[in-house]
Amino acid sequence: MADKQFKKKISDALDNNVLRGALGRFGDAYVISREKAYEGYDFKEISDNIAEVKSYAASHLDEMIDQFEKQATARGAKVYRASTGEEAKQYILELAKKKEVKRVVKSKSMVSEEILLNKTLMSAGMEVQESDLGEWIVQLAGQHPSHMVMPAIHMTKEEVADVFSGHLHKLNQPVIAELVKTAREELRKSFLEADMGISGANMAIAETGTLIMLTNEGNGRLTSTLPPTHVFLVGIEKLVPNFEDATHILQALPRSATGQQITSYVSMVTGPTPAYYPDGTVQDKEFHIVLMDNGRRKMYEDEKFKKTFQCIRCASCLNVCPAFQLVGGHVYGHIYTGGIGTILTNFVNSEKDAQNPQNLCLQCGKCSEVCPGQLDIPQMILELRNRMGEKTGLPFTQKFALDVVSNRRLFHSMLRMASIAQKPFTKGQPVIRHLPMFLSGLTEKKSLPAVAKVPFRDVFKTIKQDIKNRKGKIALYAGCLIDFVYPRIGEGVIKALNEKGYEVVFPDGQSCCGAPATYMGDRGNARKCAIMNIEALEAEKVDYVVSACPTCTHALKESFKELLHDDPALASRAEELSKKAKDFSKLLFDLGGLTPGGDGIPLKVTYHDSCHLKRSMGVYTEPRKILTDTSGVQLIEMKESDRCCGFAGSYSIKFPELSGPILDRKLNNIEESGADVVVVDCPGCLMQISGGLDKRNPGLKAIHTAELLLDKRKNVKKNRVK
Amino acid sequence: MHKDQQDDLYNKFKTKIELVSGECYRVNTALEASELVCNVLIEKGIKDVALLNSPISQKGDFVNTFEKKGIIVYTDNFRQVTPDAQAGITQVNYGIAELGSLVQADADVNQRLCSTLVPIHIALISTDKLIPTLKDTMATIHSLPEIPGFVGFITGPSRTSDIERVLTIGVHGPKQLVVVFVDEEVGGVA
Ligand code: SF4
Repeated sequence: MADKQFKKKISDALDNNVLRGALGRFGDAYVISREKAYEGYDFKEISDNIAEVKSYAASHLDEMIDQFEKQATARGAKVYRASTGEEAKQYILELAKKKEVKRVVKSKSMVSEEILLNKTLMSAGMEVQESDLGEWIVQLAGQHPSHMVMPAIHMTKEEVADVFSGHLHKLNQPVIAELVKTAREELRKSFLEADMGISGANMAIAETGTLIMLTNEGNGRLTSTLPPTHVFLVGIEKLVPNFEDATHILQALPRSATGQQITSYVSMVTGPTPAYYPDGTVQDKEFHIVLMDNGRRKMYEDEKFKKTFQCIRCASCLNVCPAFQLVGGHVYGHIYTGGIGTILTNFVNSEKDAQNPQNLCLQCGKCSEVCPGQLDIPQMILELRNRMGEKTGLPFTQKFALDVVSNRRLFHSMLRMASIAQKPFTKGQPVIRHLPMFLSGLTEKKSLPAVAKVPFRDVFKTIKQDIKNRKGKIALYAGCLIDFVYPRIGEGVIKALNEKGYEVVFPDGQSCCGAPATYMGDRGNARKCAIMNIEALEAEKVDYVVSACPTCTHALKESFKELLHDDPALASRAEELSKKAKDFSKLLFDLGGLTPGGDGIPLKVTYHDSCHLKRSMGVYTEPRKILTDTSGVQLIEMKESDRCCGFAGSYSIKFPELSGPILDRKLNNIEESGADVVVVDCPGCLMQISGGLDKRNPGLKAIHTAELLLDKRKNVKKNRVK
Repeated sequence: MHKDQQDDLYNKFKTKIELVSGECYRVNTALEASELVCNVLIEKGIKDVALLNSPISQKGDFVNTFEKKGIIVYTDNFRQVTPDAQAGITQVNYGIAELGSLVQADADVNQRLCSTLVPIHIALISTDKLIPTLKDTMATIHSLPEIPGFVGFITGPSRTSDIERVLTIGVHGPKQLVVVFVDEEVGGVA
C-alpha cells in the first residue's frame, strides 16, 4: 500500500500544471508520431526480431561478455567487468586520477545516473558536465531526470531560463531558441576542455566489440571525438550477439522513443580511434569499457523477470501509461521511472524502493501493446506486488476484505445484507461504499450503483429458458458485479445464448474470481477463490463457461492455471476450464452471432474497449460486429477507445486522485463522440463510467453489450431490475 | 547500378533528408560540385571553411575554386580551426536511401571534427554509394575487412526537443546540413 509520503508526492505532481501540461501534450503527440514513424514497417516483425536477438544474448550472457571482451580488447579497448555500481565507480575514479583528469564531459548515460557516478568524481575534485541538453538542465537545477528519453520534460522554458540565469550569472530570456544557443556555447567549451569523456551505449555488439549510441544533439559524437580518454559505461543487458542484429534495434528505438525514423546521429565505436592530445599530437585515445552488472544478473536469473533483458529503453511504455502521464517521473523516486522503471528499481536499487511505485500500475496493459521488446510489464509488476504481499503482508483492512471475499458464504451474506441496509440511505447512493471490498471504489467524481435487491443467483431461478434447436450446455460464471450489482447483464447473456441453442446453467457454488486478491498482491486468497470456482463450475460437464466480465474471464482462463500450477490434479481441471472459458461477446461471435435483427430504432452508440478484453484476450472486433448487426445501432468510434477508464479494481480506492482524471479523459472522449449510449463489455468499466456520467451528464448512459442486445432485440420493459 | 535505379534511390534519399531539414543537391562532375558548393558558401555568407581533402574535393579542385572567390580554406590543423570555422566539408562513405542518412565509416578524427564542430556541414558523396536500406547498410559495413573504428550515421542537422518538447535545430552539432551527390566516378573513399 502506498505510504503517506508517496501520496504527498503524487498530489504535488498533480498540482504541478506545467508537468501535467507537458506530459499530456507530449503523450498525445507521441501516439501519433509513433504510428507515423512505423508506417510501412511491420512492428510485429521488428519486435519479434528484437525479442529473438536480445533473449539469445541474455541466455548466453557469459559467452556474450567473453566474446565482447575478446573482440574489444583485440581492437585495443580495455574492458572491465564491474559486478556492482561501487566497483564501476572505483574503476572510473582510479582511471581518472591516473590520467590526472580535471574535467569530465558526459553524454547521456542512465547507468551513470543509476550509480551516482557524478558525485564520486566531483567529490574527488573533478568537474563533471552533463552534455545532453535535458540532463544538463536537470543537473544545473540539482534535480533528477524525470523521463528516460526526455530528462527535463517536467520543466518550462521559464524555469530553464531561471536555472541558466542563476548558473551563468547573466539574465536568460525564456526563448527556447536562445536557451539552446546558450547551451551550445557553454557546453562547447566543456567539450573542448574536457580531458575525459564518459558515454552510455544503447547496444554492445559481442561479435565485433562495437558500442552503438543514438543521439539527436550530437553530444555522443563530440564525446567520442574530443577527449583523449573515453570511458563507456554499459549495463550487461545491452549486449547483442551480432553486428547486423543491431538493425532491428535501430529500426525500433528511434521510432518507439520519439517517433523518428532515425535519430540525427547514430555512432558506432569499435576500439580506440585517434584523438588530439593537449600537446597537439594525434594518437589513439585511452579507451575503456566498463560492463556493469549491479543487480541485472539477478533479474535475469529470476524466471519471472528474464524478459527485462529484452528491453531497449525506448520509454514508450512510459509515454502511453495513463498513470505516468498524470504524475511524471519524479514520483517514482529513483532514476528509472514508469512501469519498466519500477521493475529495474526493484533490482538495481532495492525492493523497498519499488514498493510505492508498483502501486501506480493500473494493469491496463497499454505498455505491453507498444513495447518493442515484448515485455509483459504489468505481469511483472503484479509479480512484484504479490511477492511484496507475501513478504510483508497486506494492511489489515485490505487483508480482511480479501479474506471475506474468499469466503463465499460470508461474502454473499454480507452483500445480501448490504442490499437491505442501503434502503434507508436512499437514492441508490449508499452502503456499497462502506463495504470492505474492491467494489467500494469511491471518488467525488462518480456516483456508485446500489447493490441489487435480488442478486442474479436468485433471478436466475425465475428465468424461463426458451431453447429451439438445442446444441448444448453452457455454465454461466457471473462474477461479483453481475451477481450482486448488475443482474440484468446476466439475463442478457442467457437470452442471447438461448437463441443460439444453448441451455445456460448457473452453478451455485461459484463466487468471486479472486481478481481483487490477485491485483492487490494476495496470492493466498486468490488461490482459494480459484479452487472454489473450479470445483463449482465443473467445466468438464459443459460445452463452454461464459462470463460477461473480462476480468473474471481472464482469471478463469489464465490466473487459475498460474495459481494452481503446482497441484497436478487441480491444474488439469484449471486447464480444462481455461479452454472452455470465453468472454460473452467473443463466445457469441464464435457461435456465429445472432441473426441480424433489432427494433430498428436509431441509436448512436460508442464502444469502450475494456483493458482485459482487448489486450489480454485480443477481442475488439467481435463486440463491434455484434453491435452493428443489431438493427438501429449506429456505431461511432470515440477517440482512444481502448484507453483505460481508471477503474482497475482497487485502484479507484487506492488512488482516487489518479483514477478521477483518467476517468475524466474517458468521459470527455465519450461526450465528444456524440453518441447517446456508451457500450462496454466489462461491469467494472460500466460501474466506473456510468458513475462518472451520472454526475456529469446524466443524459448519456452506459450499458453492457448483453443489456443492449436485451433492449434492442425485444421490447422488454426497460430497467426492470435496476 | 542502373541509372534509373540510382535516380530512384536518390529521389528517396532527397525526400527523406528534406523532411529532417537537410538540403540536397546532385551534380554530374566533381568540378560542378565545386562550383555548386562555392555558390552555397557564398550564398550563406561563409568566409572560411575547413575542408578535409577527399577524392571529390581534389578532383573538383575545391581549394582553388573557393580561394578565387576570397574564401579562406583550411586543409589541416583541424583541432585548432574547426571550433571557429564557419563551415566544414567532408566526403562521406555511403548514403542510406530509406532514411536519408549519410554514413561515415572512418576512424580519422578529422572527419568528425570537420563535420561536427562546424555550424554548417557540407557532405560530398558519390551517387553510386547510395544503399537502399538500413539493413543493407549494416550488411555492407559488416562485410568490410573490419568494422571501422568509427561509423557514424548522420541524418539532418543536430536537433533537440529537450525544452518543452519544442524542436530546435543545432545543439551540439551543425545547424545546417548540405548534401551534394556527384555522379561522376571519382574513386577513393570506401
Ligand atoms: S519495457 Fe519495452 S516499451 Fe518499456 S522501455 Fe523497455 S523496450 Fe521500451
